[in-house]
Amino acid sequence: MNGKFMEMLENFLLPIADKLNNNRYLSALRDGFMVALPLIIFGSIFVVIANFPFLDKMISEEAYTAYQNALGPASAATLSIMGMFVIVGIGYKLTEHYEGEAIYGGVVALAAFLILTPQVLEGVSGVIPTASLGAEGMFLGIFTAFISAELYHFFVKKDWTIKMPAGVPGAVSRSFSALIPITLTLSVFLVIRILFSYTNFETLQNFIYTIIQQPLTELGSGLPATIIAVLLIQLFWFFGLHGQIIVNSVFDPIWYALNDQNLSAFQAGNELPNIVTKQFVDSFLVGMGGSGMTLAVIILIFIIGRSRQLKELGKLGAPAGIFNVNEPIIFGLPIIMNPLIIIPWLVAPVVVTVITYVAMATGLVPPPAGVIVPWTTPVILNGFLATGNAWQGGVLQAFNLLVVIAIWWPFLKIMDKSYYEKEKKAETKKST
Amino acid sequence: MKNIVLACSAGMSTSLLVSKMEEIATEKGLDVRIWAVAQDKVVKEMEQADVLLIGPQMRFLKKKLSKAAEELNVPIDVIDPIAYGRIDGEAVLTTALEMLEGNK
Repeated sequence: MNGKFMEMLENFLLPIADKLNNNRYLSALRDGFMVALPLIIFGSIFVVIANFPFLDKMISEEAYTAYQNALGPASAATLSIMGMFVIVGIGYKLTEHYEGEAIYGGVVALAAFLILTPQVLEGVSGVIPTASLGAEGMFLGIFTAFISAELYHFFVKKDWTIKMPAGVPGAVSRSFSALIPITLTLSVFLVIRILFSYTNFETLQNFIYTIIQQPLTELGSGLPATIIAVLLIQLFWFFGLHGQIIVNSVFDPIWYALNDQNLSAFQAGNELPNIVTKQFVDSFLVGMGGSGMTLAVIILIFIIGRSRQLKELGKLGAPAGIFNVNEPIIFGLPIIMNPLIIIPWLVAPVVVTVITYVAMATGLVPPPAGVIVPWTTPVILNGFLATGNAWQGGVLQAFNLLVVIAIWWPFLKIMDKSYYEKEKKAETKKST
Repeated sequence: MKNIVLACSAGMSTSLLVSKMEEIATEKGLDVRIWAVAQDKVVKEMEQADVLLIGPQMRFLKKKLSKAAEELNVPIDVIDPIAYGRIDGEAVLTTALEMLEGNK
């Protein structure tokens, strides 16, 4: 690969990264998920605690049920209805972008979403099905948050105010300033709801779910789409650009929706419907030392490294690498723009993706249970937690680590040798 | 007191660099405050900064941040990838101080 081609690729990728990262909707979406993340992790912790391994065999069935019921609300109030928090986050962030009153943007988005949400469950009215607030409502929620924040901003900008008779204090008339934009925005959504009640879909939620969300998540849960996403992330990183930040803003809604489906099934004790989920990617691809699974590279440096340069790098990168932060390796090895490294860099993650997928599809390893494990959780523990406290998840990660080491071995060997010889040459030069 | 802000995606990898830079600054007896921020907080934190450095993996932020930085008169640049990979606190600190110097 020559320099010109590399330059061309970078000139092609940098604007894409720029567009995707700086697009106001995608940034709001990413930041919206960031708002929900602490809550999601809180819920995940209690799912993990509620499903401690072997606990069901240690205490009586009644005690176990009571234990699970006691902890249930933690995840039911956060993880299972995460759509709600993401929506508030998006509405807030988008309105903040327009320099409006962000908190209004957030609650308007939530109210608009609730207007569109079914408010009846199996004939009982006055209820909101929690499923609609989680995975099923995810896409509708995201679109609603975008549109409601835009409408709110639009109506605020129009600055329609209620003319108060002279003598009414200014503070009173200003108190109506948020009222008109909110009333108009929510009215639009009410009209949409009424219109959809006359269609076969009955609710917009149903419509979006059937027409957009289901086909997209089905596509996104497949192996080919996952491999493409993984390759894109790796390719961006190869040019020193943060792959996840760029690619995840597109894939996260799909991956989180798939994740939530697994969580509901896991908590109900049913078969898990999906293999590819948010945690599939985060634990089994990122959770092994960071993107590109560079913990394997660090281990390999300790095994075969002879050159001072690599040994130093291994020492420098190891503490961060254990917690899946790998910028020292990416920029220090370096991985970026290194034609020798591009082969293991692209091949290893794809191989691991396929191995993990097959291991889960054949039932050797349980699929991710839908809990969200912080991406800084060290390998093996990470896989154990992600699969709902299944030891097989940890073992699979350990196995994958060995595979990555094997793939990298010859390439790192060549690199180490050339560094070593360079160092030796420099030393003999010095001594003569 | 000089304020140096480092920005990356989550503020994780840059915080590694921050502790190295702080070490060097203490050694040299420099009066600086250095901290790392996640990308969604950069604009807010910039108000307190005298210089802003961006992690090379987030270099596409530069264009977006340049406008706000100009308004606040905060010099802004992307950290050299090699210095970043080596967590070379000294090199990055020197760059930051040079940028400050040039902005006077």
